[in-house]
Amino acid sequence: MSNVINASHLTLAYGNGTKEIIKDANFSIKKGEFVFITGPSGSGKSTLLKALYGQIRPSEGNLVVGGLDLASARQSKLQELRTHMGIMFQDYKLVNEWTVAKNVVLPLMIAGYSVDVQNTQAHRLLKHVKLAEHADKFPFELSGGEQQRVGVARALAKNPVVILADEPTGNLDDYSSNVIWDLMENACQQLETTVLVVTHKIPTIFSLPYRHLIIESKGVYEVH
Amino acid sequence: MKFIKNHLMFIFPLMAILLGVEFYLVFDRTTDSYEKGLKEGYTMLVVSKKPMELSAFKVLNKHVSTSEKIKRENIVSEIAKGVSESSKKEILTALPYFYSVGLDSYMHTSGLEQIKTDLEVDANIKKVETFGSSHSSAYRLFSFIKFTLKLFIVFMAVVSLFLIIKQMEIWKYAHRQRMQVMEIFGAPLMLRSGVLFKVAIADAFIATILTSAVFLYVKFQWAANSGIDIMMRNQEELFKLSDMGILLGSALLIVIIAVYSVVFTSKGVQE
Repeated sequence: MSNVINASHLTLAYGNGTKEIIKDANFSIKKGEFVFITGPSGSGKSTLLKALYGQIRPSEGNLVVGGLDLASARQSKLQELRTHMGIMFQDYKLVNEWTVAKNVVLPLMIAGYSVDVQNTQAHRLLKHVKLAEHADKFPFELSGGEQQRVGVARALAKNPVVILADEPTGNLDDYSSNVIWDLMENACQQLETTVLVVTHKIPTIFSLPYRHLIIESKGVYEVH
Repeated sequence: MKFIKNHLMFIFPLMAILLGVEFYLVFDRTTDSYEKGLKEGYTMLVVSKKPMELSAFKVLNKHVSTSEKIKRENIVSEIAKGVSESSKKEILTALPYFYSVGLDSYMHTSGLEQIKTDLEVDANIKKVETFGSSHSSAYRLFSFIKFTLKLFIVFMAVVSLFLIIKQMEIWKYAHRQRMQVMEIFGAPLMLRSGVLFKVAIADAFIATILTSAVFLYVKFQWAANSGIDIMMRNQEELFKLSDMGILLGSALLIVIIAVYSVVFTSKGVQE
């Protein structure tokens, strides 16, 4: 299977390259793989994720995502790449003045789908995450677990090639966390979506085979 | 309430600029007619040995637009009261020809002096009186008022523009969360800042309508009943339909510049 992500001699740094977070990392991720990225606080897990959706450019080396070299890609190409990604955050990053349904179809709105398609998809996706009855509510009216389910629905809206999730269950209780893991497993299994999850702790109940990358001392290593 | 306040904070500075633009237009039109009045009212006196045609004056200086012969008989009757008819005839024969010469535009003193020099090149012309000092003081006062008002309008426009940009930054902050989320999901700049454009353009229309309403009131209500002569005489110049187009165009240009300046100077995704 082809690589969706390929990093070679990747260095990520802040402050014009003065503060290195990740140095000389080499890894690749194939289509349909489920990958957990762990590591101590401040090790650079979120930084790596940011680099994967193009918010941070590599200081050295190459980072190719979906065939696009992020070190040299133009901003417009990065934007286009993001439209093929589903991105989830610990703090959900939902737009509070939009309804749940509108939040879910944001990727479709950006891609220019018609309102009819958006409405149909919103209904389907919210049904999938068991929030159909909350379509017209606002995010702040939902619990944390429900908000993250909206986040999952949004991430899945455009059948993304890759889902990047930054501590998606970091603010949730065990029950809500398990619901989120179930939904992400389904996405990976049924849609063959590549899923990268940054987390402190790999869930104990996880049925899918997965890879585990750990970030330590600026390096990215495979855990077998 | 907050919504209204946010909009007024944008509309008022925009209105200040539009009022400045409209003041400029009105002032330009009224001063044009005043300038025309000064120009039409001004003539220089030319004394020549022989009769001269307008074309002869025009050859000497292109700014000469009219020439009117002053009847010598009238001058003689004024200066030779109580003098015998035969003496009057002698005076009339000896008297040179007087012309009241008009110009095509309003001239500064140096311009008048140049015309005088050009005319005096002709050997027929004995004397040119420009009445430069009174003309110059009127012109200088006129220029000073014009310059001061323009300076004030420019100053007001700059201050208002800063206020508008400040308000845009407040809006950007208010919409930051949505703009960041949209950016993360790959929305292009125009799409994620679309709401700023929509709100700013709506406010540009409102500011244009309010400014036009102010001037329409001044034109049809206040000026007509003001008892101020210059207002009543120039009532037509106070607001024209075409001004509305100019105001709307200016307002849209200002808001587009303001939105762009804010959007393009903003940083990318913040965590």
